[in-house]
Amino acid sequence: MRTLLTVTSLILALPSFAADALTDADEIVTNANLASYYAGADGRSEVRMIITDSQGRQQRRQFTVLRRNVEEAGDQQFLVVFSQPSDVRNTVFLVDKHLERDDDRWLYLPGLDLVKRISAGDKRTSFVGAHYFYEDVSGRRPSDDEHVLVETTDDYYVLDHTPKDAGTVEFASYTTWVDRQTFLPMKIEYRNAAGDVYRRVEVTGVEEFDGHPTVTTSRVSDLQTGGKTDMQFRFIKYDVGLPEDVFTERSLRSPPREWLARPKD
Amino acid sequence: MRAALSRFSTEKPVLVYAIVALLTLVCGAMIAGIRIDTDPENMLQADQPDRVYHNEAEERFGIHDAIVVGVVNETHPDGIYNADSLSVLHELTRRIETLDGVVVADLMSLASSDNISQEGPGVIRFEWMMKDAPVSDDEARAIRAKVERLPMLVDTLVSGDGQAAAIYVPIESKDLSYPLSQEIRAIADSIETDSDIHITGLPVAEDTFGHDMFVQMGISAPLAGLMIFLLMLYFFRSPVLVIAPMLVAMATVLITMGILIGMGFTVHIMSSMIPIFLMPIAVVDSVHIMSEFADRYTSERTAKETIREVVGHLFTPMLYTSLTSAIGFLSLLLTPIPPVQIFGAFVAFGILLAFLLTIVLIPAYVVRMKPASLAKLDRPAEATAVDTPLARALRVAGRTAVRHGKLITAAAVVVIAISVAGIYKIEINDNPVRWFKANHPIRVADRVLNDHFAGTYDSAVVFSRDAEGARLQFVADARPLAEVLDPGVQSTVMAELDASGDDIGAYYGNLIAAIDDALFEVVESEQVLRLEELMSLAEAAQFDSKYFQRPDVLRSIEQIQEALQASGYVGKTSAVTDVVKVVNRELRGGDPANYVIPDTPEAVAQTLLQFQSSHRPHDLWHILTPDLTSAAIWVQLTSGDNKDMSRVLDFLDAYLEENPLPPDVEMHWAGKNFINVVWQDNMVNGMLSSLGSAFAAVFIMMALLFRSIRIGLLAMVPLSITIVGVYGIIGWIGKDYDMPIAVLSSLTLGLSVDFAIHFIERCRALMRHSGSFDTAMREVFEEPARAIARNAIVIAIGFTPLFFAPLVPYITVGAFMAAIMALSGVTTLIVLPALMSWAGPWLFVEQRRQGVFTAAAQPA
Repeated sequence: MRTLLTVTSLILALPSFAADALTDADEIVTNANLASYYAGADGRSEVRMIITDSQGRQQRRQFTVLRRNVEEAGDQQFLVVFSQPSDVRNTVFLVDKHLERDDDRWLYLPGLDLVKRISAGDKRTSFVGAHYFYEDVSGRRPSDDEHVLVETTDDYYVLDHTPKDAGTVEFASYTTWVDRQTFLPMKIEYRNAAGDVYRRVEVTGVEEFDGHPTVTTSRVSDLQTGGKTDMQFRFIKYDVGLPEDVFTERSLRSPPREWLARPKD
Repeated sequence: MRAALSRFSTEKPVLVYAIVALLTLVCGAMIAGIRIDTDPENMLQADQPDRVYHNEAEERFGIHDAIVVGVVNETHPDGIYNADSLSVLHELTRRIETLDGVVVADLMSLASSDNISQEGPGVIRFEWMMKDAPVSDDEARAIRAKVERLPMLVDTLVSGDGQAAAIYVPIESKDLSYPLSQEIRAIADSIETDSDIHITGLPVAEDTFGHDMFVQMGISAPLAGLMIFLLMLYFFRSPVLVIAPMLVAMATVLITMGILIGMGFTVHIMSSMIPIFLMPIAVVDSVHIMSEFADRYTSERTAKETIREVVGHLFTPMLYTSLTSAIGFLSLLLTPIPPVQIFGAFVAFGILLAFLLTIVLIPAYVVRMKPASLAKLDRPAEATAVDTPLARALRVAGRTAVRHGKLITAAAVVVIAISVAGIYKIEINDNPVRWFKANHPIRVADRVLNDHFAGTYDSAVVFSRDAEGARLQFVADARPLAEVLDPGVQSTVMAELDASGDDIGAYYGNLIAAIDDALFEVVESEQVLRLEELMSLAEAAQFDSKYFQRPDVLRSIEQIQEALQASGYVGKTSAVTDVVKVVNRELRGGDPANYVIPDTPEAVAQTLLQFQSSHRPHDLWHILTPDLTSAAIWVQLTSGDNKDMSRVLDFLDAYLEENPLPPDVEMHWAGKNFINVVWQDNMVNGMLSSLGSAFAAVFIMMALLFRSIRIGLLAMVPLSITIVGVYGIIGWIGKDYDMPIAVLSSLTLGLSVDFAIHFIERCRALMRHSGSFDTAMREVFEEPARAIARNAIVIAIGFTPLFFAPLVPYITVGAFMAAIMALSGVTTLIVLPALMSWAGPWLFVEQRRQGVFTAAAQPA
């Protein structure tokens, strides 16, 4: 039945491909947001991060991300548990992402045996030394920016985004190239006030997991310093049935082993 | 050869003119390619180990040269913590960030700093310290409260007294420092404010210095030429006679500088002084020839004959004075400071060139002279009846010297003793910022900023721990385990195990990732166990390699910082310890009691992880390397004086003697301030060997020239007294022994021996001629003494335009050259005859045998 549906939609899609192109920027952004951050009702992924500085010196981080959608396209919960390097193992971030108010963020540092709440403040700070920002991990709220569709190519929707509150961000604008098939943003370029691109995020690998096209490798480049961070996402699984109580302060000190273990299938 | 040269120049004067003119034009044209070098680092050879280490350390810790912009408010009760001053700081920062060539990521200012603070119990907040400019003074005061909780900022970005803030503007390349500092100046000027804005920093100082050097070469050197011309005109009262030596001097300067620049050497502060050194020296020889030609020329003989005779007669003494002067400068090659070596080599070259030009160009000039001009020279030879103040003074001096020989000798001994005592008081010290005059904007900015801050002079104590030994041990331990892995996973693990350990952070990271991947692929429990064992070995080795997150190591760094601070020699130190302590305190609720290093490496690692979760994670890599095998303590000094830096170096050496580092940890200094001390030490030691060897070489030449060791010794007396005397004066007046002072010793040696050569040579000739020592002593104080005195005056006054130079080293050189010429002229004309009056028979063995010392004086 499913196969039949797929075949039917393919047949239906092919001849009217161009005509199907979306023209509403907000709709594209909504779809892109869903494709990037809301696949499935929940999901898990292991992330390996290689941070390379301008001199080519590398640092690595490895962590597991558990995610649960509180509601479709709405609030979400994230649990990030570090496994490498061993001196930061079991460092945990817990994020309650809200659309209508500031996120709640908690941090557990096992070496100091300390649970801290992190004030919302600025989300555009480095994520543990990487060239990725906190906001890149949990996703920027589409409503924070004005979106304009500037071009529709054979493969991409090209959109320009300008912040509604320029005082809260370091960029003046950014441009995304959203894949027309998967709605995954394949490239994002951030511009400063002078109009120069100083930061670039590129998706270099996409695979389908449980029916969801998913980013498997990506890179963010800091064009000012020449540094970059590569991310590899592995052991991806959707709709694993993460219970709500995984995303509570209790998980900070005792991470939920059964949900963090790699799926062996 | 001598005759051939002489014939050539008198037979083919036009060809000589053409060759010299062509050479001057070709070499002079190369001057257009001039490249100024003001980088103090170049005082050391490119491969000098301390310099190599310094550059390596700067790269390792990502240090760029920085322009320093200071915002100072000394009138507002809250200092710069008021809405206006901070808005100025904010606007300056934002606008400077837009300039091309600024390394924006590393720019440091309150307006680009992060803050970590408490927001209620258990809640911390990371945010920009001053994302927007404060609109009220209350907001400004709130920023003060935040800043004062962050020791990394206090006395670095804002002064402890709150009256000054600094913006450090790192630049991509030194070439940009001039345009950038101009652009920053323009921004500063466009901002309306009560605060003072100062712009300084090493690159700015270097650029300004380069500019002032051009001014010196463009103004002081031609001025010296003019001065010499006027002086000679005064002495000889004949423009015709004086023009020829000026031509020689100009050709010498242009050819020498042209070759220096054409050979690709940069013009450094030392080489910029070459013209002003060569000019008087080049003039002197030709003055000798011209004045002797004027004396001997009569209308009965042709000019050609006369000039050949004069050149033949003066060739040897001129060759020797040129050679000894050249040796004095060549000895600078033994000082391992490239700009000093280049200076020495090219001045020596110029001296020999001047000698060659003198004996070729002057005869050509003379034979081309119009009969009318020649006729004017045909006057009675300068008779004994010269009665000028100089002539009278010299006669009195000569009589007194001979009459009170022993007394004068005793006085000279006393002067030497006093001078030697002065030499012991000499303080060796240099400070490139002090090369600017005290009222120069750079000196002013330097003074103001160092008054308020803990110092703008940076150097770094760099610690590194060898990780390679431990890694090789780990590879040896891990290999047996890796060798029995399943073929499916073995190759990837093996490849990482055998990878290069150059980046130790990447090595363990990659290996652990490979083992982790393998763990997922194997199913057999024995393989899993092996991989797990391998994993724990690798993790342990990785953990061990991160040396500079060990609490005991950080505490010993902290103790070194405390000791340095307690010594009173440093303004402030900054290191990873400060970062760890601040983050630890804020994570634990902000209580000052928690401003300590945590107890475990993991805890330190997690504070560092938190620090990196900021807007500026890369700031950490200015004090630590990402693999944590190397760390730096940045030391700020309020003074750029080398003696102050040396004191810090000595202090730390003594401290580490008492509290030795572990054997696998190595400590090395880096930083501009340190480099200055290194080249200063090289210079002092180099100068000693330069002086020693030049002294020996000149002595040997003197003994050869006079064919007598005793007379050779006598010839060394004036220059010895001069050197001791000049350095004695330097010691007594408390002038620091710096680079220009150091070079003076060799100059003295080369120049003042000339006077002795001429004096002794003429004395010997007169003794031979008159057969009486007393007569010779009387006659030598006529024309010969006048020639020496005139030369001394020409050279001494020739250097005086340097007094108007914009940079202090030039003024120093000008002043001391004048002193050296005066002193060596006086010692030659007073001490030599005094010595000869009682030690003559012992010194002049041959003349004694001829009865010169017993013969009665001939009537005058």
